[in-house]
Amino acid sequence: MNGEPVDVRRLSVYHFGNQGPLYWGILGVLAIESVVFGSLIASYLYMRMGEVQWPPPGTAEPKLLLPTIYTAILLASSIPVYWGDSGIERNDARALRWGMLIGIAMALGFLALKAIEYSDIDYFWNSHAYGSIVWAISGFHALHVLSLVLKTIVIDILAWRGYFNAERRLGVTINGIYWHFVVVVWIPLYFLIYWSPRML
Amino acid sequence: MSSPETAPLHDPAAEEERQLVRTWRSPTGFPGWFLPVNQREIGKRFIVTAFGFFIAAGILALLMRVQLAHPRLEFLSPDLYNQFFTMHGVTMMFLFAIPVMEGMAIYLAPLMIGTRDMALPRLNAFGYYVFLLGGLLLYAGFAVGLAPDVGWFAYPPLAGAEYSPTLRADFYATLIAFIEVAALVAAVELVVTIFKQRAPGMSLNRMPLFVWAILVTAFMIVFAMPAVMVASMMLALDRTVGTHFFAASGAGGPVLWQHLFWFFGHPEVYIIFIPALGMVSSIVGTFARRPLFGYTALVLSLIATGFLGFGLWVHHMFTVGLPQLAMSFFTGASLLIAIPSGVQIFCWIATLWMGKPVIRTPLLFVLGFFFIFTLGGLTGVMVASVPFDQQAHDTFFLVAHFHYVLIGGSVFPLMGGLYFWWPKFTGRMMSEKMGVASFALLFIGFNVTFFPMHELGLIGMPRRVYTYVEGMGWDNLNFIATVGAAVLTLGFAVTLINAIWSWFRGREAGPNPWNGDSLEWATASPPPVYNFRHPPVVRGRWPMWENPQPEDRVTGLRPDRREVLITTVLDARPQGIAVLPGPSIWPFLLALAVCVAFGGFMIHPAFFLVGFFAAFAIVVAWHWPGEEERLPPWKERTRE
Amino acid sequence: MRRAAAPAALAAVVAVLLLTGCAGDQSALDPKGPQAARIARMSWLIFGFGAAILAAVTVLFLNAIRRGPGEEPRLSERGAWRFVIVAGVAVPAVILFAFLAYSARTGNIIATPPPDDALTIQAVSRQWWWEFNYKGRSPSENARTANEIYIPAGRPVRFELVALDVIHSFWIPNLHGKMDMIPGRRNTMWLQADHPGVWRGQCAEFCGLQHALMAFVVVAAPEEEFQEWLARQASEAVEPADAATRRGREVFLGSSCVLCHSVRGTLALATVGPDLTHVGSRRTLAAGTTPNTRGHLGGWIADPHGIKPGNHMPATQLPAQDLTALIAYLESLR
Ligand code: HEA
Ligand code: HEA
Ligand code: HEC
Ligand code: CUA
Ligand SMILES: [Cu+2]
Repeated sequence: MNGEPVDVRRLSVYHFGNQGPLYWGILGVLAIESVVFGSLIASYLYMRMGEVQWPPPGTAEPKLLLPTIYTAILLASSIPVYWGDSGIERNDARALRWGMLIGIAMALGFLALKAIEYSDIDYFWNSHAYGSIVWAISGFHALHVLSLVLKTIVIDILAWRGYFNAERRLGVTINGIYWHFVVVVWIPLYFLIYWSPRML
Repeated sequence: MSSPETAPLHDPAAEEERQLVRTWRSPTGFPGWFLPVNQREIGKRFIVTAFGFFIAAGILALLMRVQLAHPRLEFLSPDLYNQFFTMHGVTMMFLFAIPVMEGMAIYLAPLMIGTRDMALPRLNAFGYYVFLLGGLLLYAGFAVGLAPDVGWFAYPPLAGAEYSPTLRADFYATLIAFIEVAALVAAVELVVTIFKQRAPGMSLNRMPLFVWAILVTAFMIVFAMPAVMVASMMLALDRTVGTHFFAASGAGGPVLWQHLFWFFGHPEVYIIFIPALGMVSSIVGTFARRPLFGYTALVLSLIATGFLGFGLWVHHMFTVGLPQLAMSFFTGASLLIAIPSGVQIFCWIATLWMGKPVIRTPLLFVLGFFFIFTLGGLTGVMVASVPFDQQAHDTFFLVAHFHYVLIGGSVFPLMGGLYFWWPKFTGRMMSEKMGVASFALLFIGFNVTFFPMHELGLIGMPRRVYTYVEGMGWDNLNFIATVGAAVLTLGFAVTLINAIWSWFRGREAGPNPWNGDSLEWATASPPPVYNFRHPPVVRGRWPMWENPQPEDRVTGLRPDRREVLITTVLDARPQGIAVLPGPSIWPFLLALAVCVAFGGFMIHPAFFLVGFFAAFAIVVAWHWPGEEERLPPWKERTRE
Repeated sequence: MRRAAAPAALAAVVAVLLLTGCAGDQSALDPKGPQAARIARMSWLIFGFGAAILAAVTVLFLNAIRRGPGEEPRLSERGAWRFVIVAGVAVPAVILFAFLAYSARTGNIIATPPPDDALTIQAVSRQWWWEFNYKGRSPSENARTANEIYIPAGRPVRFELVALDVIHSFWIPNLHGKMDMIPGRRNTMWLQADHPGVWRGQCAEFCGLQHALMAFVVVAAPEEEFQEWLARQASEAVEPADAATRRGREVFLGSSCVLCHSVRGTLALATVGPDLTHVGSRRTLAAGTTPNTRGHLGGWIADPHGIKPGNHMPATQLPAQDLTALIAYLESLR
């Protein structure tokens, strides 16, 4: 057991992937968010199990067309975002700028179609328990998409100002991870809200 | 080693220390209060604030005990009593027990793993302000007669808008969600720090047990707290915008709340308990003067407790009328969790048995813990039985159970830990005589207060009653309990006096007064602002006992900015350097914004959006480049 | 001396407790029915085991820290492993498994539905009193009462538990454990009193301001006496027999009382408050809060909030003679 100093003078201050503490921090946030969505899903299923008719009498089954379209848009929005992210890894700032911009536009499209869907719905959050949980899940997820949009606008502004490059892209990477999370988490919610009343 | 101020200028070591102090010190003076981000500063604040809330909640308990000392006393009105027990429970659970454990973890864990600060220091500060503001808001409500009065688990419909029309239950619903943010932040923070910043050589299987306990606790927080946040936001929505999550007529109903609450509520009690187990391990090893026996068994027990803790929640709902078979399953799971608890207790006993124990105050508290916690655990096993619980549920028997486990399992180790680490916190020793006196008073006072409650419950006294009629046979036992509470208070008061006395008069402690085994003892007491001039390198499980070599050090961290070493998750091999941010006002402002979102929500839902956008703006400002410009350009990947 | 502190304190506490005794008319330790008896039997067994385990742990840890001067440790590494595995895993596993089986069996037995001759009583709880409905063979035989029930001794009784506002919990410790009454859910439980007797039940789930004073009286009577009582409760209120009670009825029907209470046989039919048709026959007032005496009755009507602060009955100011007459009338409602 000979003592011997560990010299760290030559170690880098840049970390990508699972090296950096921030990566683990983001994983923690995603875990928390997953439990939040999990609790909402569990609540929905609990309510559903206790009822004979679901949605309750007088409320129509959710329509499929519009939600399916905007779900597809949201899923597809991961592509330009991914393109932008990987662009900046190659120092391609243009890909980043446009990738983000397209991503934002698609997310806004998602929100707009959702707004149209909900403006046309004949029940509210205070109509019955079904309304409460559906509005809560949709609203909560939409809030996430909204914050994606806001965050990405900031990122994009920085991108247009030429702030990011292959080295300085931590913010972009994290934004990307979060983006894909919000997209992926919508998939079970979509099936829960739009398909489960037909199948369960 | 001479102190940096008096050392000659050309001494490079002294120069480095001066430089480090300049880099790491926190601003002082009034506006400076809102800026510090250093882990020990934040940890200390958590601990002190939490003890403040402990005294407040303890005083409420004393007043309740006075009211119950005799049948039909009119010392407290039913209205006040209901607010008191709710505030007592909420404060003890959410504003004392969890935050104080977080505080100990935030202060000690980075020292124990040999790093200079936590991974995300500003987030850490943010967590503290959330906790502080949430607590203050709750007590502000109390001061104007708006304290919640529906019990700490706030079952609807009683907590719903119809039966609790005032803002009281809103204070509960929104502030619980708000305060949990602090716990979640601290949890993420601790996981990242423990995973990524351990001293070189401290592989996972060399981590001190306290750090293991904190790691398990942090994971439990991450997986339990969101459930109660969701539930309390649903309750808040039911109350403010008329949703039907918990309406009796709706599909969810009151029982949904119970599931969601206890899915969090059961892990919650282990979140309070597991860090205490870590403290017991630290104390037992040190005072047995030998390495802990059964390190692996202890770690596995902690992990097992953490996992099993998520499968027990229905044991709080045995009288709801659920199917027998389902309930038996939860009985089984509740009994199973007794085994890891037992394994740990017997490992500690074995350690003492194999060692040469020296009995000092911290160890006394651990012995007290053995007795009280075992008793409380055994009554826990009893109430895990469905038929027995049908009698014991919601009676003083249960009140006895949970004070035995909470105080015996958590507060006693915490007191032991306080005596144990006090010299590290302050650089001075506490008085051993007063320590022993405090222990004796607490041990006797505790048992006199809470033991009679077992019988009270069995002879029919429900909990949460502000009074009772004559002739029930409850008078004497209640009176004894009240007298016990006075003794108990005296015991806490002696420790408080001891702490104040020691602050001014205590003997100098030196870096390692107890000959402890882990790294917090490797630095001065109290540690310098940068914790370690040269962070240690670890070559075994008990670094301080393994002939530490002066050369076993990390060198090459720059003193002119806040640098910490990053290591790999499993083996703690050096991997990189992180440059941490310094003092900042943003965490405080962000906490204020989030506070507006949650606090304002009680009055109008629109406040939530205001807070949301304000918080967003602050986050953008917080992260706006300028921060990252602290880093050198890419070309100089290495930092010479 | 320090080591003696723990056992000494415990001994003192236990001694005091023994002196205070444990029989009572609201006690789980004084069982009067088959379910309560089974639970009590199990309780004593687990208290015994618990005490033994606690004593063993205490002896072990006191022994572990005891050292003569210069004495060497007495436990080897192998001995320690054996100790932890036996005491920490093997023994608890056996005990816990046996306990799980025993507990589940006990649970199943006491939950088994009663045979068909059971009487069914609907118990309705609200803030902060109880209503009890007995279903007769025809509507005219239906009985409704409040805050006091009779049950036939030796016959199983089934309770349908209904909550109208918030969650309450139905608990008669001498006869059985508790069962929650949850709005929107219908729970049932059954119990039986082996012999005649009088006990107390109390609400066991926090239900707001007056959760503390929400009790009721349970009378187990021999079958005949029970039938008599039931017939009386099912009948309409007695006609006033003298001038004073007649005047009392006028006062009653002429004041706000009728907005909330019913006295079957009169025009008072409201169901906000307890049914008063036979209020004079009850032992207590306001859900077990005070004995049902002339003085307390008067006090209750004049100032219910002095007796049970915050309850849902408003005070009524009446001239002295009217009050006396009203009291006389209510007392006559037997
Ligand atoms: C620190 C907190 C803490 C801890 C550690 C525990 C530990 C345990 N608790 Fe407790 N509990 C609470 C805090 C805690 N509890 C609180 C606050 C409530 C009430 C909430 C409220 O309603 O307000 C509660 C309520 C509660 C209930 C609900 C009762 C009801 O509402 O009616 C139940 C039921 O099963 C229960 C069971 C247990 C069990 C089985 C353990 C086990 O983990 C105990 C295991 C330990 C031992 C058994 C002792 C050591 C072991 C040995 C020495 C080995 C040998 C042992 C045997 C062979 C048995 N607890
Ligand atoms: C960690 C948690 C914790 C702790 C430490 C305590 C500590 C105490 N509790 Fe606690 N209690 C709970 C958690 C806790 N409790 C919970 C969760 C509930 C359920 C609430 C609900 O039903 O919703 C409860 C309920 C509860 C009840 C039941 C109320 C009811 O159901 O009607 C009672 C009654 O006796 C009680 C008493 C006490 C007492 C006397 C103390 C004492 O130990 C307190 C002693 C401490 C002090 C007095 C402060 C410190 C003192 C000093 C530093 C000295 C200086 C101060 C002075 C000189 C005044 N508690
Ligand atoms: C606004 C409704 C209301 C009015 C008016 C009212 N009561 Fe009551 N009464 C109640 C309620 C509710 C209770 C149950 C209180 C409790 O125990 O919490 C009650 C309880 C009682 C009891 C006790 C019954 C028992 O079984 O314990 C009596 C007797 C009584 N009322 C008589 C009267 C008389 C006489 C009047 C008129 C002078 C009156 N009440 C007016 C609502 C009312
Ligand atoms: Cu009804 Cu408590
Ligand atoms: Cu539990």
